[in-house]
Amino acid sequence: MTDPMQYLTPAWRDEAEKRLKSELSPERMNFITSSMSNIYRDCPDGSTRYLFFRFEKGEFAELLLGDGEPPAAEFKITGAYDTFAKISRAELGSQKALMTGKLKLKGNMVKALKLASIADRLNKVLSTIPAAY
Amino acid sequence: MTTPNDPYYIDFPARIRAIQAAMAKENIDVYLGSRLRTLSWTLDAFCPWRSFVVIPSEGLPTAFTFVIDAARVADDAWLDEDHVFGFAPMGGQDQIELIADFIKDLLPGEKGRVGIESGMSNYLPEGNLTHYEYERYSEALPGCELVNAHTIVDALAVIKDEGTVNRFREASRIVDIGHQAVFDAIKDGGWKGMTETEIAGLAAYAMRKAGSEWEWSFTGGNEIASGYRTGLVGGACTPASRRELQAGDPLMVDIHAMFKLGLGDHSHNYLIAPVTDRQWWHANNFVDIVKLTLETYRAGITPSDLAEQMIGFADERGFSDYMVPGFEHGIGLMGDEWRIGLNDGPFPYWTNPEHVYQAGELLICAMQYACPEENIGFRYENPIVLYEDRCEPLSVFPLSIDEIK
Repeated sequence: MTDPMQYLTPAWRDEAEKRLKSELSPERMNFITSSMSNIYRDCPDGSTRYLFFRFEKGEFAELLLGDGEPPAAEFKITGAYDTFAKISRAELGSQKALMTGKLKLKGNMVKALKLASIADRLNKVLSTIPAAY
Repeated sequence: MTTPNDPYYIDFPARIRAIQAAMAKENIDVYLGSRLRTLSWTLDAFCPWRSFVVIPSEGLPTAFTFVIDAARVADDAWLDEDHVFGFAPMGGQDQIELIADFIKDLLPGEKGRVGIESGMSNYLPEGNLTHYEYERYSEALPGCELVNAHTIVDALAVIKDEGTVNRFREASRIVDIGHQAVFDAIKDGGWKGMTETEIAGLAAYAMRKAGSEWEWSFTGGNEIASGYRTGLVGGACTPASRRELQAGDPLMVDIHAMFKLGLGDHSHNYLIAPVTDRQWWHANNFVDIVKLTLETYRAGITPSDLAEQMIGFADERGFSDYMVPGFEHGIGLMGDEWRIGLNDGPFPYWTNPEHVYQAGELLICAMQYACPEENIGFRYENPIVLYEDRCEPLSVFPLSIDEIK
């Protein structure tokens, strides 16, 4: 059993990129071209971080981890670090988090509906990374 | 979406530019439209759910509607899917936060004047911003001044362009098909055992077969009245009931069709045999006053002038007690119903009786005759286009009151 990695660290990002590349084929991603930023507020050190995903025709293209303002993305999901952590630990569904206002989505909801199942697939891959929060 | 060589083409980008030019004159940075008439007039899509259109100072507008209908609105509208958003009860996606954030992104420093649509209307689905919405948008846009600006759209929508008139013309042609279907069904004893709702339905079926999208009127779709229901005092609204037609009944058939947001609205009247001389007296009165009204409508006249002339005629003939003293209601693309012209009359949000009609205006010539003590009444409605010297009735089903044997 591998040791858990600290959530949202460069090592965790590298592992996430590896898994996304290997586990999400363009077919599985419905050949989408889109981008999304997760904004993590109230991280354990008090900072705000982002995780930026980009797919080109279903191919995983970019995963960026950083502080402050994220690159422009088609969708921006903002929430507390703890909320994202609960989603990653499968303690909270992302839909429920949105419906209860724990997460805030910025972007075109009509397009987001088309991508909801794809986002679930992506979150599922990330949730398999052994992580400490 | 229609193309410029299509008879139903409307230049929606030009409409948006005209709104933006008017916004600039009034120092309005963003227009937040919420009325159904504004949505139809700017989007070319029917928006049955609460919807909004945000018009920036330049560039394309963006529509917002309930998420369950947003993809369909995007499919029908002239805008691409990047300019149609759905709102939903989710973080950041409810109609207040989503639209307020969108407006803030349009305004430098999140500050500016936002035009809204406030007022009142007889027409229930008008869609003015509610008090609650106004308060929430005010809170969500702290750097903005919200100002009532619906006159911008109202003024631009008064004169109808060719594509709009053609849509009304086609909707009226469809209504005439509905009337023919009703006549074919009730003639030669076909009326026996028939109910008002059945007549409403068979007209609807014929009109839908001919391409009508729905029987658009919020007054219950097709309005059918028979017997005493035709003579209800001032009764210009008769959702069909389950009443069964009887020998000797008057029958009022007021049907509605929609074609690309253009609206057909025409009433035809019958007398079911046996018909008494007194019933014919009423019927002839009504046909004569409708004829005279249609001969009188033209640019330059006002609603009060016309009413005065027509009630004078009715008085001479001894039937003024039975005439409802109004001869019109406003009409435009779906959602624009009732008031004519601008909100500039003596009673707020009612038609100005001194409104001077201009060539190119479209209205419903609407007349109601009711004699409750004799259980008889008639209705005439027809979209008419005004010209300098005449009007053009768009429904051409022959004007008469027919006896049904």
